[in-house]
Amino acid sequence: MKGRKRKDILLNLLPLVSILLFILAWLVVSGGESSLIPTPTAVFERYLKLLEKPISKTSIPGHIWASLKRVLLGLLYGSVFGISFGLLIGWNKTCNRIFKPLFELIRPIPALAWIPLMTLWLGIGETSKVALVFLGTIMPITVNTYTGVRLIPKINIDAARVFGANNVQIITDIVLPSSLSAIIAGVKTALGTAWMVVLAAEMISAKTGLGFMIIRGTDVLDLPLVIFAMILIGVIGACISSLLTIVERKLCPWKSEIN
Amino acid sequence: MQNNKKTEQIELEVRRYRAIEKRSRLWDILLGALSILAFLVIWQILCTFEVVDAKFLASPLDVIRTIAVKVADPKPEGNTLFVNIFASFQLALTGFLLAALIGMPLGLLMGWYKPIDKLVRPVFEIIRPLPPIAWIPIIIVLLGIGTVAKSFIIFFTTFVPILINAYTGIRETSQVHINFARTCGYSNWRIFLTVGIPSAMPLTFAGMRIALGNGWSTLIAAEMLAANKGLGYMITMGRTYGRVDIIIAGMLVIGVIGLLLSGAIGKLENVVLKWKVKK
Amino acid sequence: MEIRNKLELRNISKIFLTRKSYSVAIQQVDLEVRENEFLVLLGPGQCGKTVLLNIVAGLLEQTTGEICIDGAPYSGLNNQIGFIFQSIGIMPWLTVRDNVAIGPKFAGKNKKERYEIAQKNIDLVRLTGFEKHFPRQLSGGMKQRVGIARAYANNPEILLMDEPFGQLDAQTRYAMQDEILRIWNENKRTVIFVTNNIEEAVYLGDRIVLFSSRPMQVKGVYDLTSLERPRDYTDEDFLEIRQKISDNMDLVLE
Repeated sequence: MKGRKRKDILLNLLPLVSILLFILAWLVVSGGESSLIPTPTAVFERYLKLLEKPISKTSIPGHIWASLKRVLLGLLYGSVFGISFGLLIGWNKTCNRIFKPLFELIRPIPALAWIPLMTLWLGIGETSKVALVFLGTIMPITVNTYTGVRLIPKINIDAARVFGANNVQIITDIVLPSSLSAIIAGVKTALGTAWMVVLAAEMISAKTGLGFMIIRGTDVLDLPLVIFAMILIGVIGACISSLLTIVERKLCPWKSEIN
Repeated sequence: MQNNKKTEQIELEVRRYRAIEKRSRLWDILLGALSILAFLVIWQILCTFEVVDAKFLASPLDVIRTIAVKVADPKPEGNTLFVNIFASFQLALTGFLLAALIGMPLGLLMGWYKPIDKLVRPVFEIIRPLPPIAWIPIIIVLLGIGTVAKSFIIFFTTFVPILINAYTGIRETSQVHINFARTCGYSNWRIFLTVGIPSAMPLTFAGMRIALGNGWSTLIAAEMLAANKGLGYMITMGRTYGRVDIIIAGMLVIGVIGLLLSGAIGKLENVVLKWKVKK
Repeated sequence: MEIRNKLELRNISKIFLTRKSYSVAIQQVDLEVRENEFLVLLGPGQCGKTVLLNIVAGLLEQTTGEICIDGAPYSGLNNQIGFIFQSIGIMPWLTVRDNVAIGPKFAGKNKKERYEIAQKNIDLVRLTGFEKHFPRQLSGGMKQRVGIARAYANNPEILLMDEPFGQLDAQTRYAMQDEILRIWNENKRTVIFVTNNIEEAVYLGDRIVLFSSRPMQVKGVYDLTSLERPRDYTDEDFLEIRQKISDNMDLVLE
């Protein structure tokens, strides 16, 4: 008994050990005379300087919101289209035959590869960025919705029909709830893609946003700024992801916990 | 007599069903082909009749011609088509293979042995939320815009999904199988090799497919930011030189190669898994 | 007293097409179902009983033959026919109450009405107190009781039950057999019950129709109305009938 307790304690110490090692490694790597990597203190100091002298006349929350807005808007449009389209081609055989081949033709093109074309068509302003996020998000959301519809247990549809559901009721009361968790999984994936697309677009041409911050730092070799922006991106990404998980739990109370 | 008449009736019904089935299958294929055709025709018409300005859209025929020309012609950005393809392809593959070589075993070990999991997890969770794109600038600063830097970026991008899926895959190993192996007297290590790893393979391969897709995508982005060859570079230069046909041609090639790559993994999966299933 | 036929099946056949040929699942079945009787369809596994039930419910279309309710032919889905599925098929995203209320909901009844109906039927199957539970929180027997309540809530004249206790453990199965008889006695209606278990058939049925294996045909009809209820598994008469049926039944190793 005592031996096992000891083992558990050691086991739970390991994460701390690894975090300490990580911080240590950072300090070591950044400590050298000719090292390019900024120390943790340098990053913190840069943060303080940013509070005094913002970049592009935008505060830190301003940049965060700039990126976030693009992500959320694109995600919204992409979800609306993706879910409707996915439901359509998942449920209606004819629409499936007509539209799915077209969709599969466009799908292999990665969202980022659309950047030159989109910037050519829509310029480098907000519209093209939101459009890019839209393009990036419709792929996973459509695919997941479509798969969710196809995986509905036939027995649930049979039961609904036996108990008198008409076609509309089947879609709203059976198809949608049954495929909800697949849809949400699609939105989660789309979120990752959206984040990626926004950052890339901002790095290529923007005046605000976290991606822009990174490029600005890179251009003038202001590495503490770059690291600071990266930390922000990581933290915010994690927050949104957790938020989505909470939303999922609220929307799907019938799902058992996945441990 | 009665029986013969009834069998006849049945045969007639069957034949009727068959005809209907065949007709609907043909119709399905036709619809799909027609829709793609319609799409291409509309696209071509928009360009030929200049409904859309030529500098915004190139027609399908132009795109095909451009691809054919580009095979030999290095204009406008200085590389022929295959130089670009090869450059991107090579980078994607090296980064991916490295990530698979490190990520898969690490993920499997992490899923099986708790101490390793506890040790590696925290660092992993810190790095995970960062989209690989965010790493590109700093890696370029530190390692330049050469092959090493880009392979590193691809390694990064592909590492995460492979690891996660290997980890999840092995964690889902059926307890029944594990118990059976234990009753045969296998050591933990042996169970890991003979039971854990094979049952983790389907998810691991799914992870590899996702990883390759992400990696390919990130590579294109990296090439758009800083490179002098590769497909991402090609389409960005297409924009700079106002050559819509190059952009669209490049997008097509990127898509096709992406498909080929994930198809390759699918084939590999069939080979590996078929053997495992027999086991 | 005149015995009316609630349901009549005439010359029902069903053929399934496979890639290269076809298979005859049901071959010319004629069946009469009397009003408010508990009719059991008995046959070896995979013989086509579920197919027949699906045809009666309107989920599958028959290849030949016709079905009449109260003398009038019909086809397709019918709100007068309820169905209890073998794999239960209650919606995992709905609470017990919403599951039971689903028939009335599709029929357009408002919330108050359909929750009243649901409550009545939840009480009927003795699941009072579990109205807000989700299916994942229920045992197999409880889930099937929800299925039963759901079928009853729609107030159908004919109830089809497709091996409803097939997925339950033996203990629960015995308990559910008594339950279903109790519920049927409280609310008499026509029941067609499918099973492959001889004891269950003799325990439950007013009449038993014995089917062959594929292609499915009627092998015999047994009238058990003389056997008094509640029936006893160990009773002499019970065992005698059981033996008679068993001798006649096709043995199929799947």
